Amino acid sequence: MSRIGRLWNSLATPRRIPRFFSIILGILLLAGFLVPMGLNNEQLYPRPAPQLQINEQDPLAPYDRGGVPLKEPGIVKSQYPEFSEKAGMVTGYLSPIAIGVSNTTLYFGTSIYSSPGGLIDEILYYSRGFDTILESSILMMAFVIASWVAINFTMRRREDE
Amino acid sequence: MDIIIMGQQLLGYIPLGDIVLYMAPLNLFMFAGALAFTTLIAISRTETQVEAGFGTLKDKEVKVGKEEFKIRRFLAIICGLATAGAMITGDLFNFTLFVCLIGIVNIGIVAAVKQVDVLDAAFQYGLVAMIATLPLFGGAAMILASTGTISLLEILNIPTTAMMIFGSLLLLLGVAGETGVAPFYATKAEMFRTPGSPFLLIIHLSSLLVIVRLIEILLIINKPF
Repeated sequence: MSRIGRLWNSLATPRRIPRFFSIILGILLLAGFLVPMGLNNEQLYPRPAPQLQINEQDPLAPYDRGGVPLKEPGIVKSQYPEFSEKAGMVTGYLSPIAIGVSNTTLYFGTSIYSSPGGLIDEILYYSRGFDTILESSILMMAFVIASWVAINFTMRRREDE
Repeated sequence: MDIIIMGQQLLGYIPLGDIVLYMAPLNLFMFAGALAFTTLIAISRTETQVEAGFGTLKDKEVKVGKEEFKIRRFLAIICGLATAGAMITGDLFNFTLFVCLIGIVNIGIVAAVKQVDVLDAAFQYGLVAMIATLPLFGGAAMILASTGTISLLEILNIPTTAMMIFGSLLLLLGVAGETGVAPFYATKAEMFRTPGSPFLLIIHLSSLLVIVRLIEILLIINKPF
């Protein structure tokens, strides 16, 4: 009985909680190796097989989704096609600079200038746009808290009596 | 859509692309409750604690300054809105993002206090919340991998596999870490020992509502009955 009491007391110490949580998480993750894998091949957000586009010498690999902008939709599957009717229409858009670069190198898809005006990820910005808003607001809240603490506890600091 | 979720008729839905916010009676009630409480918090002022000195007349008031009051009110309102959003979202990944937002805002509400032990507890809670994002998003990813979808309205019709059960266990551990329920309550309980009562209560309310919603989601995924 006293042992259980000691256990409860140790759980009431905030310093021990992260360690305790990590131990439980570690045990659960190790137990996960025993769970039989049952992957669903009919994925909602499919990707081509690894290295497939690279072996085809595609300069946009691994992000080539095909399609002609505003004419022919690329490969963008969505859960409810009736709610995102225009999905895939701009996913193949390349800016003039991007077209120029993709003609000179095979590694355009993995380079840093592939995102601005290059390949537009419609899953992020169209069919799952609300998630992107939430992600950036999480980041914004983190900056709000950090900058408030930085301003009020370092720059405008008054020593309390 | 003529869909019955957990014995409730769906009243309607708000489509935002693939993310569909669904309105069942229980979810709508919790949504309205979270919004009403957020409104109450937005128009209220903080309490003042008095620390009594033994044998002397030097009672000390622990007040919340104006700057601190403003940032706390702002973060409490964001926390209330995130809680309300987590109540009606019909998408698993969206739910985990809302829970993550609640977790980081909870740290912010107590980040400005002057009591050292409260700050210590908030630091430990922040560590747990950061570790908990791994099982939280990992669980959602595992359910996506095993079902092929993360829309709760679709998962409703998919039979449960062992990997979905494991994914929902990870999700449960993630939400338990983010909201600080038992047995990880110690960090959160210490965080309350500071003035600024109505804003601190939203930490409590968000944990309670998120847990209720999580139970509903786990029942949808695992279908025990």
